[in-house]
Amino acid sequence: MSSLIGYYSLIFGVGVSILVIFFSIKNFNDTQKLDTKVISLVFLQLLFVIISFSGLILSFVNSDFSNETVFNHSHTTKPLFYKISGTWGNHEGSLLLWLLVLTLFIFVFLLRSKNQPKQYKILTLLFQQIIIVGFFIFLIQTSNPFNHVFPVPKEGLGLNPILQDPALAIHPPILYLGYVGTSIIFSSALAAVCSNNITKIWASHIKKWVLVSWIFLTLGILLGSIWAYYELGWGGFWFWDPVENVSLMPWFALTTLLHCVLVLEKKLILTSWVVVLSIATFTLSMCGTFLVRSGILNSVHTFANDPERGLYILIFLFILIFLSFFIFLIFHKSENNNSKTFYLLSKETSILVNNWFMMYFLSVVLIGTIYPIFLEVISSQKISVGPPFFNKLILPFLIPFMLAMAIGPKLKWIKSDIEDKIYLISFFVISLILSVLIIRNLDINFLYNTILITAAFYLFFITLRDFFHRKYRNLSQITAHFSFSILILSILFNNIFSSEVITNLKINETYQAQNLKINFESIEQENKQNFKAIKGKFIVEDQSGLIEVMQPELRIYNQPNIVTSEADIKTNIFTDKFMTMNYVQNQDYFNIRYQVKPFMIWIWISTILLCLSGCLSLIRKKYEN
Amino acid sequence: MNILKFLVSVIFLIYCFSSDLKAKNLEIEITKNLRCLICQGQSVYDSDSEFANSLKILVEKKLNEGLDEKQIYAYLKNKYGDWILYDPGFSKNTYFLWLLPILMFIFGGAIILRKVILKKKKL
Repeated sequence: MSSLIGYYSLIFGVGVSILVIFFSIKNFNDTQKLDTKVISLVFLQLLFVIISFSGLILSFVNSDFSNETVFNHSHTTKPLFYKISGTWGNHEGSLLLWLLVLTLFIFVFLLRSKNQPKQYKILTLLFQQIIIVGFFIFLIQTSNPFNHVFPVPKEGLGLNPILQDPALAIHPPILYLGYVGTSIIFSSALAAVCSNNITKIWASHIKKWVLVSWIFLTLGILLGSIWAYYELGWGGFWFWDPVENVSLMPWFALTTLLHCVLVLEKKLILTSWVVVLSIATFTLSMCGTFLVRSGILNSVHTFANDPERGLYILIFLFILIFLSFFIFLIFHKSENNNSKTFYLLSKETSILVNNWFMMYFLSVVLIGTIYPIFLEVISSQKISVGPPFFNKLILPFLIPFMLAMAIGPKLKWIKSDIEDKIYLISFFVISLILSVLIIRNLDINFLYNTILITAAFYLFFITLRDFFHRKYRNLSQITAHFSFSILILSILFNNIFSSEVITNLKINETYQAQNLKINFESIEQENKQNFKAIKGKFIVEDQSGLIEVMQPELRIYNQPNIVTSEADIKTNIFTDKFMTMNYVQNQDYFNIRYQVKPFMIWIWISTILLCLSGCLSLIRKKYEN
Repeated sequence: MNILKFLVSVIFLIYCFSSDLKAKNLEIEITKNLRCLICQGQSVYDSDSEFANSLKILVEKKLNEGLDEKQIYAYLKNKYGDWILYDPGFSKNTYFLWLLPILMFIFGGAIILRKVILKKKKL
C-alpha cells in the first residue's frame, strides 16, 4: 500500500513540475502576485516527494517484500535503525533521496531569496526544475524504487553487513546535501548570467549556498572516511579509491569557488571564472553519481551496477553541460576591463594562487580517476592508478600551497606589503628546526619529509599567532586555515609514525617482540539479532608496561551470509590502537593485525573544525551586514 | 673520547635497529602498492583473500632471495600485467597521465603571471 502511494506521489510530482514550468514561463514578465502561487506549487512538489520517500521508508520498516527494492535490500531480522537507513543504502532509494534534497533546496532557496530580482529567481527555479524533471524520469524509467514483486516473497535478501553501521547510515544523506547543494549554485549561476544579475549582492547571496554545500560535503566525506577506518578493517582512512576521489573533486571545486566568491563579493572581478566554476562543480557532482552508479569504476564502494542507468545519466549530463555552455556563450558579458588589474602582493593574487593550486589538485584527481577508463577503452590495456600516483603528484605541491596559505590572508586588497617580516622568518626557522628534530632519527626520505613538515608547521604557527594577533578580524578564515594545517600535520605524522604487527595466534599463545607483547587470552561467542559474534580477548603490553585489553570481533551475518571483521579501537588524544582478527583457513589460528596509529583522532577533529569554520562564516555574515 | 665512543655505539644501535625496521617495512610498502586481483579495489596488503595471502608470501620470498623493490615489481608485472601495480610508472601508456596535470599547473601559472605582469606594464 505504501509503495503504491509512493509511486503515485512520484507521478504527481512530475505533474507539478510541468505546472511549475508552465506558470513560471507564462508569468515571466508579470507582476509580483505570481510568487506565492509558484512557491506553493514548489511546496506541493516537495510534499509529494516527501510522501513518496516516506512511503519507501514505511515499506522498509514494515518489511513489505512485495516491493522489489525492499526485497533486495532488507530482511525481517534487521534492527529497525538499519531498516530505515537501508532506504537510502541502495541505488533506487539513494536517487529518491537525491530528488528529495533537490526539491527541498529549491523550496528553501525560494523562501530565502525574497529580496532577489524576480526574473533571476524564476530562472533559477526553471533550471532547477530541468534537473528535477531529469531525476524524476530517471527514477521512474530506469530505477523505480516501487517495483512490484509477485508472488510476494516471505523473506528479503538483506543489506550488505558492512553497510549496517551508524556512520554509514547518515553518510549518504549528509553527502547528498553537499552534492545536491551544488545544483542550486549551478541553477543560480546560470540564472544570474541570463538575467545579467552578477553583482556583489548576488555574490554574497550565493556564498551562503556555497558554504552550506561545502560544509555538508566536508562532513559527508569525513563520515565516509571514519566508516572506512573502523569498518573496512585495515586501519586506513583514505585509499584514493575512485569513489572517494569522486567526492573529493566537487570538494576541490567548491573550495575554489568559495574563495572566488569572496573576491567577487568585494570587488566584482573574476565573474566568468565564478560562473565556470559553478557549472563545473555541479557537473562534477553529477559525474560522481554517474561514475559510481554506472559500475564503470572498480571500487570497494560500488554496490549497484547497471549500464542502462549509467547511459541515462551520461546523456542527461551531456544535455546539462551543453545547455550551460550554450547559455554561458550567448548571455555572458565579460566584466569591465579596467578592474582586471592585479598586483603581485595583494589578496586578489593570493586567492588566484589558491585557485591555481586547487585546480591543479582537482586535475590530478580527475585525470588519475578517469585516465585508466579511457586507456582501457582506447587500447584495452588495464592499468591501475593508486595511492603512489596521487602522493607523488599532490604531496610536493602541498609545500608551496601551505606557505601561500600562511601568508596570503595577511595581504590586503588591491595592493599590499608583507608586514611583520621578522615574525614570518623566525616562525619559519622554528618550524624548520622542529621538523629536523622530529625527522632526524627516522629511516625515511629526510629532505623531502622535513620540508613537507616544515611547511605544515609554518602554517600551523602562523595561523596560531593570528588567533591572538589579528583580534578575530576574520575568525572563520583563520580557523579554516588553522584546521587545515592540523589536518595535514596529523596525516603526515600518522603516515610516518604508524607501526604494526601482523601475526597468527591461537588461544593462549603469546606474541613477543622487543617492545610489544600480545597475549591471546580467550574467545567467546554471542548471538545477536541478525549475526553471531565471535569476540577475541587480547592483552597487549607495550614497552612502558602499559596494559590494554583489546577485543576485536568477527561477525557472521545470517542474511546475507557474510563474515565481517570488526576492529577494536582504543583511542586517546595521541594515538589510536587498532586491532582486527581474521580466520586462517582450516586451522585454529587467527590472523591478528595490531596497529599503533598516532594522531588519528586529530584527523577527525581538524576536519570537524574545518566544518565549524564554515559555520562561523555563515553566522558572521549577519553581524557584518 | 668516551663521548665519541658512546655516540658511535648509539649510531650503530640505531643503524642495526633501523635496518631491521627497513626489512619489515619494505614488504609492507611493496604489498601496499599491489592490487589484489580478486578483490574490489583493495590492495594486497589490505586484503585477506587467498590470492593476497599467497602474494604476501611470494613477496617475502623474493625479498629473501635478494631481489630489490623494482625487480619484484618487474617480476609481478611480467606475471600479472600492469593492472596489479598501483603505481602506474612512466611509460608510453602513461605519458599523458603524468604530464597532463603538470601541464595544467604550468598553464594555470602562466595565466596568473600574465594577469600580474600586464598590470606592471600599464603603470
